Amino acid sequence: MDQLKEDLKKQIIEQLNLEDIQVSEIADDALLFNDEGLGLDSIDALELIVLLEKFHGIQVTKPEEGKEAFMSINTMADYITRRKAEQAV
Amino acid sequence: MSVRITGIGVVSAIGLSVKENLLSLKTGKSGIGPVQYLDEKRGLLVGEVKASNQELLEYLEIKNKNISRTSQLGLAAARQALGTTGMDASIKTGIISATSVGGMDRSEDFYVDYLSGDHPDYNLLRSHDSGNTTERIAAELGISGYINTLSTACSSGVNAIMLGARLLLNGKLDRVLVGGTDALTKFTINGFRSLMIYDDQWCRPFDESRTGLNLGEGAGFLLLENEKSIALSGNKTLCYVNGWANAADAYHQTASSPDGKGATLAIQKAISLSGIDVKNISYINAHGTGTKNNDLSESVALKNVFGDQIPPFSSTKPFTGHTLAAAGAIESVFSILAITNQLIYPNLNFQNPIEGTGLVPVTSLLTNKPVKAVLSNSFGFGGNNSSIVFSSDN
Amino acid sequence: MFYISAASSITHQPTFKNAGFSASLHELTEDSELISPNYKDYIDAALLRRMSKILRMSVACAKTCLEEAEISQPDSIVVGTGLGCLQDTEKFLGTFLTIEGLLPPTSFIQSTHNTIAGQISLSIGNHGYNMTHTQNTLSFEHALIDSMLLLSEDNDHVLVGAADEYIEILDKIQQDLHLPLSGKLSSGASFFMLSKERSANSLAGISAVETIGLVEDIQTEIQRFLTEQNIRSSDLDMVLFPGFELGTSGIILDYFINNEVEIDRIVDYLQFSGIYPTTSAFAMHYAIDRLGQDENLKNILVCNCLNSKNLGLTLIQSLEA
Repeated sequence: MDQLKEDLKKQIIEQLNLEDIQVSEIADDALLFNDEGLGLDSIDALELIVLLEKFHGIQVTKPEEGKEAFMSINTMADYITRRKAEQAV
Repeated sequence: MSVRITGIGVVSAIGLSVKENLLSLKTGKSGIGPVQYLDEKRGLLVGEVKASNQELLEYLEIKNKNISRTSQLGLAAARQALGTTGMDASIKTGIISATSVGGMDRSEDFYVDYLSGDHPDYNLLRSHDSGNTTERIAAELGISGYINTLSTACSSGVNAIMLGARLLLNGKLDRVLVGGTDALTKFTINGFRSLMIYDDQWCRPFDESRTGLNLGEGAGFLLLENEKSIALSGNKTLCYVNGWANAADAYHQTASSPDGKGATLAIQKAISLSGIDVKNISYINAHGTGTKNNDLSESVALKNVFGDQIPPFSSTKPFTGHTLAAAGAIESVFSILAITNQLIYPNLNFQNPIEGTGLVPVTSLLTNKPVKAVLSNSFGFGGNNSSIVFSSDN
Repeated sequence: MFYISAASSITHQPTFKNAGFSASLHELTEDSELISPNYKDYIDAALLRRMSKILRMSVACAKTCLEEAEISQPDSIVVGTGLGCLQDTEKFLGTFLTIEGLLPPTSFIQSTHNTIAGQISLSIGNHGYNMTHTQNTLSFEHALIDSMLLLSEDNDHVLVGAADEYIEILDKIQQDLHLPLSGKLSSGASFFMLSKERSANSLAGISAVETIGLVEDIQTEIQRFLTEQNIRSSDLDMVLFPGFELGTSGIILDYFINNEVEIDRIVDYLQFSGIYPTTSAFAMHYAIDRLGQDENLKNILVCNCLNSKNLGLTLIQSLEA
């Protein structure tokens, strides 16, 4: 799980071009779309959907579906784990 | 403020002429269907102009065949608007076209071969730039001097009309062809798909179940003339363009603000400039793309301006698809036709109002209401919002 | 006449925040590069991370203009660009032609021409008129004409500018199509604040701008333009023109030399700017800077014939003390 979270942080920095941010600066529970957190917006949400498909083989077909999953690194990691478990069944 | 409109032309998924477009609007015949002419495999729903590039070349009798589809569509509509009006050295004549893709229809063909290293034809790129799209139209029509192109995404067509009217009022020009043109491209189809706002079903503007837009293509042009020009051309005045405005939403790169700020500003300013009382707007041709975001934001803006007295309104995009830079120009032609034929068009595919706003568009053709003044909205990417008012009075 | 109350350029020359730069220009060489400021000083990091070169240049110049003119909000923002956001356009072409599956949307969003004016409005929270003109080499002149129209209507201040960016494929296109270019392809952005009234910040005046698309007789058009402005050729202290190819540039040189403009007052600005569609915006900044350095200069004409089919004429004048 920790490795997944670490990977996610690296992938987010790359996909969203967060030039000035280091992996260590993103807390697992920081709100990604809040200005106190990473301050992401709806374009980033679409980029995160692409990221999930590209790196994790998970398809989010409706942008709204991503909303809860993309709250924080923790919720993203949980979502990926759950979807992968579903796919395995 | 008022400027005479003496000619109109339109090419869209519902017809190659003004007459054909009007007939489709009256009979509720949509032009949206599975992709047919563009080399796209997915069976997407699009609003294509029902003619191949080769057919257009022959129909338009164009000699230099290195020309974009965007230019061809524009030329077809501009010729209709110009009609039999002849050029005269004493009449300062200009052309302002709007486009968002320019010659991308050919550039993307080039780029496929470029990427695979398969002898790409660089000549295809000669028509890439948006300015070239207009220059080619101007050259075919024999217009020189003021030749300009605007590119503000989906509001471009209205902006071209607005700029032309201002140049006429300011005495910079006597006569100006204004409008917009865009061909369907893989670039824009994939672009709107990447934004997850391309609907795989037929678009449903202002309906609660709406999930996105269908792209279309086409062109619309208007001929604007001052008194001096009319004295020579003898053209009849169809109606007037009375008010216009462009305002920035400054909210988000693609999304419209939930409070509809930019849209509200544009509508208010356009109506105020027209000098027409908001109560006397007979019909609104809405932007109504069918995306969650636009239709909600536009509904809020309509409520901001008109309160609970919103005039009959509809989006004609379920007929034509969203034609991007041409949309404002095509819908301006439709607005003028609404006045000259006393018609209000149906908003196809509407069933349930949007929760929270509850607005209900016109759902069947209305022929029993006087149509004197029409507001047309065009809202674009980057928060670029434009509104324009046409009426039968100056 | 309207007043230019600020000018800001990012180019291959040391133009940015450097009044008097016109004295230290050198001809562009093959290895010259764009001279960029630290963009973080001008643009919010959240916006900056997505911005391509053309957007960074434009927003930084626009913000500097506001600062220098001491105007927090212009009434309108008007931009000219010949080829628009090429970097993102090419990126999205590559993306959708090679990736199967979901496509990242950012480069598509930023590929539209009006991203430049849109990003400026977003950066400063401006709700005014927001326009983008794209008429290849005359894009900037068209933006100027629109801006001057706005000032003659009800605007007090208009932020107007032009930008174009170089991408590598342009070199390949030029070679394959055998385009006869006389210099290096480059990038550049120049923005200006135009004001209705003169103020302590006024740098120069702009009296007239005209575009003649699909021009037939360049010399007649120049003559007519000057006559309409009540100016004789001999009144011109400087003529700026793009020394692009001998044909059209030669016609312009001949015209002015035959009409009492000494050859050392006719300056090829393309050698300084390099080649991009909106170099006439660089020329306007150069003209303003020269007027600021030399009080003997009164009238400067920018004669834009970068594309031989299109002529742009802009008359810039010094302000009476």
